[in-house]
Amino acid sequence: MIFFPAKLANFSQQIVPVAAYLHIPFCRRRCYYCDFPITVLGERAPTNISPLVVDYVEALCREIEITSASRQSLTTIFFGGGTPSLLPLPLLERILKTIENHFGIAPEAEISMEMDPGTFNREQLQGYVGVGINRVSLGIQAFQDELLQICGRSHSRKDIFAAIELIYRVGVTNFSLDLISGLPNQTIEQWESSLEQAIAIAPHQISCYDLVLEPVTAFGKQYQPGKKPLPTDEDTAEMYGLAHKMLTGAGYEHYEVSNYARSGYQCRHNRVYWENKPYYGFGMGATSYVNGKRFTRPRTRREYYTWIEEGGVIKEPEVSATDFLLESLMLGLRLAEGVSLEQIRQQFGAGVVEQIWICLQPYYRQGWVEILGRDRQTIKFESNNCCITSAERLRLTTPEGFLFSNTILATLFEKLG
Amino acid sequence: MTDVPVSRIRNFSIIAHIDHGKSTLADRMLQLTGTVAQRKMKEQFLDNMDLERERGITIKLQAARMNYTASDGQQYVLNLIDTPGHVDFSYEVSRSLAACEGALLVVDASQGVEAQTLANVYLALENDLEIIPVLNKIDLPGAEPERVAQEIEDVVGLDCSNIIKASAKEGIGVKEILEAIVHLIPPPQNTIDEPLRALIFDSYYDAYRGVIVYFRVMDGKVRKGDRVRLMASDKEYEIDELGVLSPHQIQVEELHAGEVGYLAAAIKTVEDARVGDTITLANNPAAEPLPGYTEAKPMVFCGLFPTDSDQYADLKDALEKLKLNDAALSYDPETSSAMGFGFRCGFLGLLHMEIVQERLEREYNLDLITTAPSVVYRVTLIDGEVVEIDNPSQLPPPQQRIKIEEPYIKVEMITPETYVGALMDLCQTRRGVFIDMKYFTQSRTSLVYELPLAEVVTDFFDQLKSRSRGYASMEYQLIGYRENDLVKLDILVNKEPVDALSTIVHRDKAYHVGRALTEKLKELIPRHQFKVPIQATIGSKVIASEHIPALRKDVLAKCYGGDISRKKKLLQKQAKGKKRMKAIGTVDVPQEAFMAVLKLEQ
Repeated sequence: MIFFPAKLANFSQQIVPVAAYLHIPFCRRRCYYCDFPITVLGERAPTNISPLVVDYVEALCREIEITSASRQSLTTIFFGGGTPSLLPLPLLERILKTIENHFGIAPEAEISMEMDPGTFNREQLQGYVGVGINRVSLGIQAFQDELLQICGRSHSRKDIFAAIELIYRVGVTNFSLDLISGLPNQTIEQWESSLEQAIAIAPHQISCYDLVLEPVTAFGKQYQPGKKPLPTDEDTAEMYGLAHKMLTGAGYEHYEVSNYARSGYQCRHNRVYWENKPYYGFGMGATSYVNGKRFTRPRTRREYYTWIEEGGVIKEPEVSATDFLLESLMLGLRLAEGVSLEQIRQQFGAGVVEQIWICLQPYYRQGWVEILGRDRQTIKFESNNCCITSAERLRLTTPEGFLFSNTILATLFEKLG
Repeated sequence: MTDVPVSRIRNFSIIAHIDHGKSTLADRMLQLTGTVAQRKMKEQFLDNMDLERERGITIKLQAARMNYTASDGQQYVLNLIDTPGHVDFSYEVSRSLAACEGALLVVDASQGVEAQTLANVYLALENDLEIIPVLNKIDLPGAEPERVAQEIEDVVGLDCSNIIKASAKEGIGVKEILEAIVHLIPPPQNTIDEPLRALIFDSYYDAYRGVIVYFRVMDGKVRKGDRVRLMASDKEYEIDELGVLSPHQIQVEELHAGEVGYLAAAIKTVEDARVGDTITLANNPAAEPLPGYTEAKPMVFCGLFPTDSDQYADLKDALEKLKLNDAALSYDPETSSAMGFGFRCGFLGLLHMEIVQERLEREYNLDLITTAPSVVYRVTLIDGEVVEIDNPSQLPPPQQRIKIEEPYIKVEMITPETYVGALMDLCQTRRGVFIDMKYFTQSRTSLVYELPLAEVVTDFFDQLKSRSRGYASMEYQLIGYRENDLVKLDILVNKEPVDALSTIVHRDKAYHVGRALTEKLKELIPRHQFKVPIQATIGSKVIASEHIPALRKDVLAKCYGGDISRKKKLLQKQAKGKKRMKAIGTVDVPQEAFMAVLKLEQ
């Protein structure tokens, strides 16, 4: 446990958020690995706009309107889900108008939308782009029909290529693909093939997520980590290494634990999270970080509506100084560039940097942790002749340090928490 | 408190198996006699410690004085002296019984006689107590009063023709029980004129008044301000406070033969006023102390180490405080190469050990690592010297010793016939020697074995319960030491010997235990960034080995739409787990691993 001077209460609360996450919970069906707050609409594409969706968008806009705004317009907006591409164009337009009126949207703002293959046509995508969507994150997960089926995805391999073609035809200027490694029955060869195909499609960003077994999901109930039919830890570690090797070889920068991007195309919205900066969150189950308070909204529609009717009050306590430090490290060390020791020194004092460095000694020797000087060159600590006080950045090595980031962070939590 | 003639005092205790309703019956008697007002009643008045309420067992004794006007119109004083309900505390039970003239034998009408009950009934009979059988819970649908009454006749040999049928919960039969106590239990002997002898049956430490001693006056009388001598500890004190337990303490000026009460005399630790000791007057001492005093000796030992070495001083402090209140607890500093500084602690039995550990963690907020329990071995060295070893890692090497002896116990199990085979099998695998089997009824067969204590302090009781689906009960007593071909089994984690994992086993079982232990440790020790070999050795010979494969990844792929709380919780959990691990060289070993030897599938 470390104690900070009282004046160092909070740092994030003085900053006004310029990012907003909007949760669009609707899905055709629930994927077997997913435990997000969603509402299942069914496989059949609706002929009319569902009143369920209309009501939800109404509530969402209401929430935006009752949120206190500043003069700063938003620079990143992210429609996540769920499957936001199930959103009819007029409703998307209504949400964006509400945001524009309430907060303002900066001219160069990044406006992202998660989309699933098979849920949109050319007209729809053109419409989205027309109202401001300038970044598409396409959830393809795998290129093999048998794997898509195992995951309970509602789309096929064919749908993937159709969706990519639409994205190219409509001329989306920034798009990203999501892949999952470590799926049941997935082989290293299949993973390699998925990576090759992703590279061939040449998106601006590729996210590679190692499957997380959540207890309340179909997968979580059926499978045990590292046991058949799931690949072994050895195999998923190899898949991680393979993604790093192939994607960096193809010119992508491994900029975050699970994310690769071409230069200039890192997701600006997600970087807000990793840099531990504040953001708005709207919609059921959405998390916000405003005025130093982290808050997750009710996870069901009914409870969410009630919460808005009652004024959308956020009662969470402010993040404490210790938590702010731990969260900064936990999030910042996900980025290849790591965290600024200089900033930690200013906010928490040189002693804290010293303590962090002591905790990380074994991992430094392991080659999982790097320290950069003011010249952005790595510093070598051969003996005690070099002092941490001159160090500017702390980062995990890519990919070895990333692969063991929990081990490293748990040590920091243990010693600093 | 009115003075009461000896002829109208009745001292009794209640013998019952766990869950057979002893505490509820006591509660009802307190209510019916108006000792505790209805509104002040909380369930199970006598079980004072949280731990006792949670587990439904009695650890510390209590006593209660009740005034009762019987059907003959006379007012009587009834003293209930509670007994602890576990085999670890059988000595305390014997002293409580020695303070009584009678006992209620309470048996659940739907269950029957259990081993522990039987052991205590025999103890009561040895003390010449009048025993009143009571069938409890007769209101339950499953009650079989005739069958169980017959069983008590067959098993215990008591006349049950007038057995009282009661339901403490419903208040049925409680009045009859009180009448039976008055009419069947003899009054104490009137020895008021003899020199004072009072039997201590319990004591506890109070931070303000010093040790509070619970006693029964056997002969003579005692007054507030008297200078008393404790005959076994040979210490003298002046009584500051004298009183009765009603069940709250009420001060009185004088207590005489037959009465039960408490005293406070600025006694600094319960060790100076041990259970079984005799109180007499300093200026007019009795010639002989009361019979039956023995110093309760620890039978089971284990190492207690703080997970965080900074807590060593806190642990020492906490043990000192517990010791004030627990004469049977022993502790000595221990240094382990694997665990650092801690204490070797001695306990009466496994439950006692668990209770102490739990109190240390709960009441003193300590994070502890406990090593597997060990018994006391008697080792004869080549020079003829005999040493007692309570820590396997201290066992002298083979070339220095002539023989090793280990403590044996006689275990009596009572079980439904169906499980006899399973229990015999259990005893065989634990090196048991069959002594006797008695068939009472279909649901009650008594099985007697002699077993090495070391085989019982592991998971014997759990196994007994699981192999009999919870139906069997057991009781044991120490019967002496026997020589056996014993060896020390050492464990190496990542090539480093871990003294805290050493164990003494019979040579014939060493290979099996070594295999099982290495396999279990492989399960319990988390993966590290390198391959961790685990070996079991006897001397320098490796008899079993396993390895934990290297950790290949430990990363969480995603933060969910800015919801960082899950990842944070996960890291906090991981950090907490790490805090509770002990670093053996570069390997983090979790707490459970040190108890692994208890959890081997036999």
